[in-house]
Amino acid sequence: MPKAVAADYQSKVTKPTDFEAFWQRVWRQAKAIPLSPELVPDPLRTSDDVEVFEVFYDSLDRLRIAAWYCRPSRRAEQSPAILFLPGYQMDPPIPKEWARKGYLALSVAPRGKLRSLRQFNPGYPNLLTHNIIDRQTYAYRGFYVDAWRGIDFLLSRPEVDPTRIGVTGTSQGGGLTISTAGMRPEVCAAAAGAPYLCGFMDAIELTHTYPYEEINDYLRLYPDRRSMVEETLAYFDGINFADQITCPIIVNIGLQDNVCPPETGYALFSRIGASNKRLYTYDGHGHDAGRYQHSAIVDQFFAHHLLSAR
Amino acid sequence: MNTKPVDLEQYWQHTLDDLSRYPARPELELLPLRSTDFATLYGVRLTSLGPYRLYGYLSLPTGTGPFPAIYYAPKYQSVLEIIPQGTANLQRSAYITFALAGRGQRQSDSPYAAMFPGLLTDSIDDTKSYIFRGLVSDSVRGLEFLLTRPELDASRLVVVGNDLALITAALHPGATQIVTTPALFFRTAEIAPRTQAYPLEEINDYLRTFPDKAATIYQTLAYFDLAALAPRVRATTLLMAGPAGSALDAQSLAPLATGLPGLVTVHESEQSSYKDGLYAEQWMAKQCRIADVQRILPEHWQ
Repeated sequence: MPKAVAADYQSKVTKPTDFEAFWQRVWRQAKAIPLSPELVPDPLRTSDDVEVFEVFYDSLDRLRIAAWYCRPSRRAEQSPAILFLPGYQMDPPIPKEWARKGYLALSVAPRGKLRSLRQFNPGYPNLLTHNIIDRQTYAYRGFYVDAWRGIDFLLSRPEVDPTRIGVTGTSQGGGLTISTAGMRPEVCAAAAGAPYLCGFMDAIELTHTYPYEEINDYLRLYPDRRSMVEETLAYFDGINFADQITCPIIVNIGLQDNVCPPETGYALFSRIGASNKRLYTYDGHGHDAGRYQHSAIVDQFFAHHLLSAR
Repeated sequence: MNTKPVDLEQYWQHTLDDLSRYPARPELELLPLRSTDFATLYGVRLTSLGPYRLYGYLSLPTGTGPFPAIYYAPKYQSVLEIIPQGTANLQRSAYITFALAGRGQRQSDSPYAAMFPGLLTDSIDDTKSYIFRGLVSDSVRGLEFLLTRPELDASRLVVVGNDLALITAALHPGATQIVTTPALFFRTAEIAPRTQAYPLEEINDYLRTFPDKAATIYQTLAYFDLAALAPRVRATTLLMAGPAGSALDAQSLAPLATGLPGLVTVHESEQSSYKDGLYAEQWMAKQCRIADVQRILPEHWQ
């Protein structure tokens, strides 16, 4: 049997004193850029029960970001919405499944993902370490904002009830869920699975698997840049966004997670500011984080907070 | 619906003949960023059917060898991984690994950049130009390349992947073992209507939009059907089935397992990437006579 995981694991990451100021500046820059949303119907992917659209909007540095947007064919004048955020290597899916459950669903392709890579494409592997010694140009600076702007797209839609917006994702999508819930007070419920981008510098010691291994590769080649890497990553660490979360949130982790060490999941959860929070741990599970059992819990969670909350 | 085409053998023989007209012309580039004291990584460019230039990652263990190898066949995803996400990097100390991006995947996306979804039904209404005819050729070309490496112990060559792993082993005798997780081409015409999940949802989207093309695309799919190709596979096989009750569970895949002439182990998913992944790692290590598998497992599986 694998070794037991320390539930009281303490992350080494510390929050920079100007963390909030840094992100406020970035967010001000983003807000100055008009969203310019565009919806293009996709008849090939549309069925009787779900309407599918390709979506595009502008984000930080004026990059054009793509997304998929699904609407239940039969819906109320205003409906709850789900923002779905993708995994590191995942091609952002068409979120038909969420629409079939009664939500307006947006699945974002942040910069560098397929359909959002014309102006920015560091590739995989590479995204995680692209400009990693400079927080002003690090890949995830724009990548995070692209995800957060998905909320603005939802708010721009008349069919979205702005008081019932949820966010979810697994792995990188789980990490993005954390920062989105922390930065966007419009989010009223969040479900993060196997969160990545949390405890970067802990993870590279706890595991030697990709994608985190990209950082070890980088530091092996450039050992003298370690302090700069640490300094940058502190601004992007989900653990440092966690105390800003106030909405109800659930987190699930696998205790044999070979991608995102479960220790970092515990460390993240302990720092979440919301009073209504719950951690689900799945022994005997890896990076799936108990998905087969947990998906019903996520459904119930959002049904309670979004579908039935009026 | 997936009746075996009478000219199945000719179709694939013509494909292999066409492929053989294009020399691979491999070009290797050292990648210091991804090289360690236990393995060296190279970017590889190869020519395939078309002609089409492909890209892959070749990792060679430090030492004299010969080494067993894992060939990660092209996948239905845009990203090319050096080794699959979550695999211990130390796997590269025990095996040669070669991961190939088929046409349309990142780094093999010029001139053709695939869409996901979109790849599965690209040109599916024409058996000769269907994109997967090219992708199968790419996968075979990758195996041919790996077999040219002097560091390889050719008696221990595992092909890992989804449907392309099995199809590649059906078309080339170089694979000694395969780990295959069917997802696209097992009785597709019957199984696709039972799911709403991509990638098979592509078939449903296509038929909803072009219902008059049903017979044509079923005909194309029949050339790729795993059950039809299984009798050609000589490799020892680990067949990774979906969880019980799913469309591709062990019961569903039973005809495929019985159609494989070599030794077959069926592993039905335990709905845990840890348990399923550990099973596959241990199976490969045993097949390749690697004694200390613990050493090359991810930390949280040890």
